[in-house]
Amino acid sequence: MTSRRIIRTLPLAALAAASALVLAGCTPAAESPEASGDPVTGGTLVYASGDGEPSCLDPHVGGNYPQALIAGQFLESLVSLDDSGEVIPWLATEWTASDDGLTWDFTLRDDVSFTDGTPLNAEAVKVNVEHLKDPDTQSSTGYLALGKVDSVEVVSDTVARFHLSAPDSALLESLTQPWNAIESPAGIARGMEENCLAPIGTGPFIVDEWVPQDHVSLVRNDDYDTGPADRAHDGAAYLDGIEWRFIPDSASRYAALQAGEVDIIDNAQPDTLDQAAKSGTLVEIDAPRPGASNRIELNSGQAPFDDVRVREAFIRAADVNDGIDALFFGTAERSFSVLSSVEPLAYSDETLFATDLDEANALLDEAGWTERDADGIRSKDGVPLTVRFPVSTNQSIPAEQSLFEQIQATAKEAGFDVQLEPLDLSGWYGALFTHEYEAVSAPYTKVGPDVLRILYHSDSITPAPSGYFANLAQLDDPELDALLTEAASESDPDARAALYEQAQQIILGGFYALPLYDQQNHFLHSPKLQGVRAMPTVSTPTFADAWLAD
Amino acid sequence: MSDLELSNRAVRGRALPRPPRAGTVAALAFVAFLAVATVAPWLLQTADPLAIAPREAFEPPSAAHWFGTDESGRDVYSRVIEGTATSLLIGVSATAIGLALGLLLGGLAGLGGRVLDFVVGRVNEVLFAFPGILLALLIIVLWGPGPVTATIAVGLSTAPGYARIIRGELVTVRSSGYVEAARVLGHGRARVLARHILPNALAPMVVLATLGIGQAVVWASALSYLGLGAQPPAPEWGAMLSAGRTYITTAWWLTVFPGLMIVLTTITTTVLGRALAARDGARR
Repeated sequence: MTSRRIIRTLPLAALAAASALVLAGCTPAAESPEASGDPVTGGTLVYASGDGEPSCLDPHVGGNYPQALIAGQFLESLVSLDDSGEVIPWLATEWTASDDGLTWDFTLRDDVSFTDGTPLNAEAVKVNVEHLKDPDTQSSTGYLALGKVDSVEVVSDTVARFHLSAPDSALLESLTQPWNAIESPAGIARGMEENCLAPIGTGPFIVDEWVPQDHVSLVRNDDYDTGPADRAHDGAAYLDGIEWRFIPDSASRYAALQAGEVDIIDNAQPDTLDQAAKSGTLVEIDAPRPGASNRIELNSGQAPFDDVRVREAFIRAADVNDGIDALFFGTAERSFSVLSSVEPLAYSDETLFATDLDEANALLDEAGWTERDADGIRSKDGVPLTVRFPVSTNQSIPAEQSLFEQIQATAKEAGFDVQLEPLDLSGWYGALFTHEYEAVSAPYTKVGPDVLRILYHSDSITPAPSGYFANLAQLDDPELDALLTEAASESDPDARAALYEQAQQIILGGFYALPLYDQQNHFLHSPKLQGVRAMPTVSTPTFADAWLAD
Repeated sequence: MSDLELSNRAVRGRALPRPPRAGTVAALAFVAFLAVATVAPWLLQTADPLAIAPREAFEPPSAAHWFGTDESGRDVYSRVIEGTATSLLIGVSATAIGLALGLLLGGLAGLGGRVLDFVVGRVNEVLFAFPGILLALLIIVLWGPGPVTATIAVGLSTAPGYARIIRGELVTVRSSGYVEAARVLGHGRARVLARHILPNALAPMVVLATLGIGQAVVWASALSYLGLGAQPPAPEWGAMLSAGRTYITTAWWLTVFPGLMIVLTTITTTVLGRALAARDGARR
């Protein structure tokens, strides 16, 4: 009943379908007696997160995955995705686009209020979009996703009209994301500081208290009756609340789950997944994130990776296959695409990534990196072939950090001096902002292939208001820009797919990135926890229909 | 130590040397092992400590890999040996820094007169108010992580302790009977300082330093464990312990062996320090 097997047999099916099957395949309903039965009301779920504690619970601010994980419990979006990847109603019941694709009308539910009593209406949507676009919000993910939205017009109480600067084939996908969720305008009006502590939404839970460095308490929203169209049941959540704990140490997190102190953990490590699968007492949810794969971006904006030969040499020299097998205990599959395998338009080319040390050496010789010191490190005109590689210890799990050490060792054989620098999140962002890196692994989660525009369009070299720039490869290619821009406006599915394929060929063929595997997203939970599922949007778990069996 | 005992230096020559204890011999043997591991690690290693072999990852201890292999298939035994130099170097250098600073501050306080004694004493008290490791963390935050910073940080953090002990010894010895006698006999200040005060006050420092190395190794390992000392892939004991922690439930050998080295090193320096202290006591 290992879920990953199930996923692999699916030919690039939508993530949602996979997740649902995972749950169906994993929930030991048939095997363990306690798993059966009707939903039970009551009880507080204890969730242990290994992701970095957010500095702000409002996912509009910045916009990273730890924020999405928790915000999904108290905020909701206009639309969602179903298991087959189709866009389905959530807070918006229907939507229509004008023929030129520049105007979108969203009809909202007329019976929904935020948990502070403010009604959900078109004005609220307008305020949220303006909040995301306001530089003072320091939004990155949500801001980029709404890049083409110029303004929102209040047509009536229940109809919000989006005016776009250009057609956007990814608008609906973008709006499913937690980073573009709709918050209470009154909550936003309190100012960033207060709103960060307890954003107000329409979701199944309400932020009650946040004890920094420890936990966030969420309590049930008794009036809750919305949820995406594919939700399992109507009305308020079964759980009384959720205690959202932060346990960064993976071994402690797993031990807490085994001891029954917590009910579910995220970021379950490969060795513990292996162990849990063998013992059979825990349930795994394997929900790879959509958007980009986990890959190492090579900074083509400065030496030495401004030379395609040096980039190719690095990729040819870095041997990762055996390392992935050993370090991930078979829980992660090697990727040869910059997109996640759950993205239907992912283009993969294994031939570009064959390890070949001789080829790497030849390329470096040709590029002029011919001098070698006693350690075998190459240099050119007295400048050593140094690759600064800042590693976010929050985002890269220990197995991945070990993999980077292996890359360091194999790249050294070709003469690269890879300097791994483990940093906390703020130090890591700092290294990126100041361009003090040659290589970096930066996961990026987004629904749909439009993530390519965010990661590789030259516009993304310009920092977002948060200071983050997503084009870490600093890829600046007018031809690619044109393809990505065209694809983002193309409403015909086949034409769109063809454009994205061409774009990915340019990215892979230019050796701007070394793909490793899908963004790993494994949860382990006790069989007591029932009815939990990963959202088909960005694979965050939702507890709106979950209960704790006795 | 009574004044009588301290001043009765004639006894020294007649005291019978005690046969060394088994513990001391074992400790000396381990020191010899550490010395070889530091100076010529390749004599003891069975593999390249940095060579990766992903296909051989997570192998338990065997004839081929005495301490097993780590997550990248590297030989843990050879890494532990390789890490000796880093760990000991940090320990010894940090102790040297701490002791040197301690001597300076303690000397100023013990011999420099009331005002200096007061000033150094108060500064010391402020420093004592912070746990040493916190002080070390502060220094690392200011200067950035790395083995050199870790060494300086541990050294600086231990200095107040040394300073206080040195000051105490200096004050005790200065007011002892034999120093008074020497003064009465008309010896000059410099001569009294050089012949009587310093040798007697500083003898315990050898013991302290030996004990201190063990402590410094633990601190340095702690800093590396927190990711603030040696950087990957350098095999430092604390860093190895930290890396192995992830796999503690599945691969015990990744943590047990580096941990054992830290424990043994600390025990060894403690045993030697005590042996030295005993000898020192007998000599007086």
